[in-house]
Amino acid sequence: MKGYIGKRIATGILTIIFSFCFTFFLIRYAPGNPIKVLAGTENPNPELIEHLTVKYGLDKPIIVQFTNYIKNILKGDLGYSYMSNEPVIKLIKEKIFPTLLLTLTSSIISVIVGTFLGVHAARKVGSIFDRIMCGISYIIDSTPGFWLGLIFIIIFASTFKILPTSGMHDLRADNEGFARVLDVIRHMILPVGTLSILQIPLYFRISRSSVLQTMSEDFITTLRATGMKESRIFNKYVLKNAIIPTITMFSLSLAFTISGVALIEIVFAWPGMGRLIMEAIKKRDYPLLTGIYLIISICVCVAMIVTDIIYALIDPRIRLE
Amino acid sequence: MRKGFKDALNKINSINELKIGITLLIILILIAIFAPLIATHDPYVLNDDMAAKPSSEYIFGTDGLGRDVFSMVVYGSRTSLKVGIIAAAISSIIGTLVGGIAGYIGGKIDKVISELINMFLMLPTFFLILIVIAIYGSSLTNVIIVIGLTSWTGTARLMRAQAISLRERTFIKSAKTIGESNIGILFKHIIPNGIFPIIADSTMAVSSAILSEAGLSFIGLGDPNVISWGQIIAHGKDYLPRSWWICTFSGIAIICTVLSFYLIGEGINCILNPKLNKAS
Repeated sequence: MKGYIGKRIATGILTIIFSFCFTFFLIRYAPGNPIKVLAGTENPNPELIEHLTVKYGLDKPIIVQFTNYIKNILKGDLGYSYMSNEPVIKLIKEKIFPTLLLTLTSSIISVIVGTFLGVHAARKVGSIFDRIMCGISYIIDSTPGFWLGLIFIIIFASTFKILPTSGMHDLRADNEGFARVLDVIRHMILPVGTLSILQIPLYFRISRSSVLQTMSEDFITTLRATGMKESRIFNKYVLKNAIIPTITMFSLSLAFTISGVALIEIVFAWPGMGRLIMEAIKKRDYPLLTGIYLIISICVCVAMIVTDIIYALIDPRIRLE
Repeated sequence: MRKGFKDALNKINSINELKIGITLLIILILIAIFAPLIATHDPYVLNDDMAAKPSSEYIFGTDGLGRDVFSMVVYGSRTSLKVGIIAAAISSIIGTLVGGIAGYIGGKIDKVISELINMFLMLPTFFLILIVIAIYGSSLTNVIIVIGLTSWTGTARLMRAQAISLRERTFIKSAKTIGESNIGILFKHIIPNGIFPIIADSTMAVSSAILSEAGLSFIGLGDPNVISWGQIIAHGKDYLPRSWWICTFSGIAIICTVLSFYLIGEGINCILNPKLNKAS
């Protein structure tokens, strides 16, 4: 158990170190002068050049530059955003909560719905329900998430007109307290709905196949031979064993989910990290872009390690390995 | 030879996924090849009818600049197929080599490579691609190479498992006894014998490469010199909800293309694992 968790944490730390090195060398070896990249313009004025050279120590050897860079990051200084001239870390802090809200809500909904549907389909393998669900899961897997979001906007903005299609709250109504929460929830329905639909097939497939696999194992045959009722076997023995793999899926899909969230945020004008990335790209704000990348990598690593630990606690097979 | 072909055809017919996937793919490839004949307008020409509704003149309508959406979708198939297939080829070749070496040689090399693979699985790959493209420029070649270089880990894991199980087989041991070199064994025996699951995996890699390219184009990091479905959608987003046709049709085109590769990959998996086949 300890060995397993230690190994995961070590991999996580390595990944984060890789991300540090990666962003550093990416900027240093970008086409053209790193100063131009850091300044974000083609023709920075001499004062700016001097300021940046001193700030990032660009006249010093690369090793010194690298250690300075790492030191700054460890202090929480990710540099300054070019477009707003504010610390990158502050901009990210403002935007990370809305993103987490979307990510977590949609993940939880899709784990529950997906597992439920998967277990249901596996109980009646080959039935019409099973076949239709498998077909739909293929199609959803092939659908670009941002497109699905746009289609929802077309449907809800032009035909139904009941749900807001952009933003996080109504700018015209100055809601307070509970009304504000309700307003945010109303704005969340479409983005969370889109994200959940996109993730459900993942959990549907993993839970379906793991139920099928457990059902074919020897101990289930033995239980059947003892004359135990089919429903009791299912609820007491199959479910427990079959649901565990969904947790691994949760951990593995996190990196994927967070990129999906960014695109969906752009579609629904949700004020989160996705929007920030979009703006950073448009304005060529590289310090902001690398900062966001670092924060996202760290978040994904931490979340993955936490789910792995939970998984190890639940499943003794992992613990004892 | 003839009999072999017939056998293959029967096999394809018996698995629905494969049948639908291959039919879809053949249609798509034909569309991509004969794009100039199929397209009703030049997709680069700006007409005077801007954001016109679908009609007999413009089958899928026109976009905000007056370009014919149908012709753009037809030409876009070339970009998507190119990106998907080349990127998947790059990632499969790297993945097969890295996985094969790790699994066959084992020892310290295997440990290092496995750790590298574990690390890559923790990275948010889409953002990795995004940031490289944003800084290094968004030409189509860059997009293809970066997608290819970042998505080999799945293939490497598969190939590594294959190599580990093949390593212990008698015919590999006999080859060693005869005195064949490690590299010879790797290329002549390990890779050819373990390649089938990799092929299934690579077809699915085509799907994810196409989706990645569409996502990149959607945030404005596509190659501005070529027509791609993601870019059409990104452009159409600004004309919503009135001009729904710009986004809708290119999205459906993406779904069909990605679906065809998924189904083929799934179908090959079905042939390889008869157990899986029975379950479905």
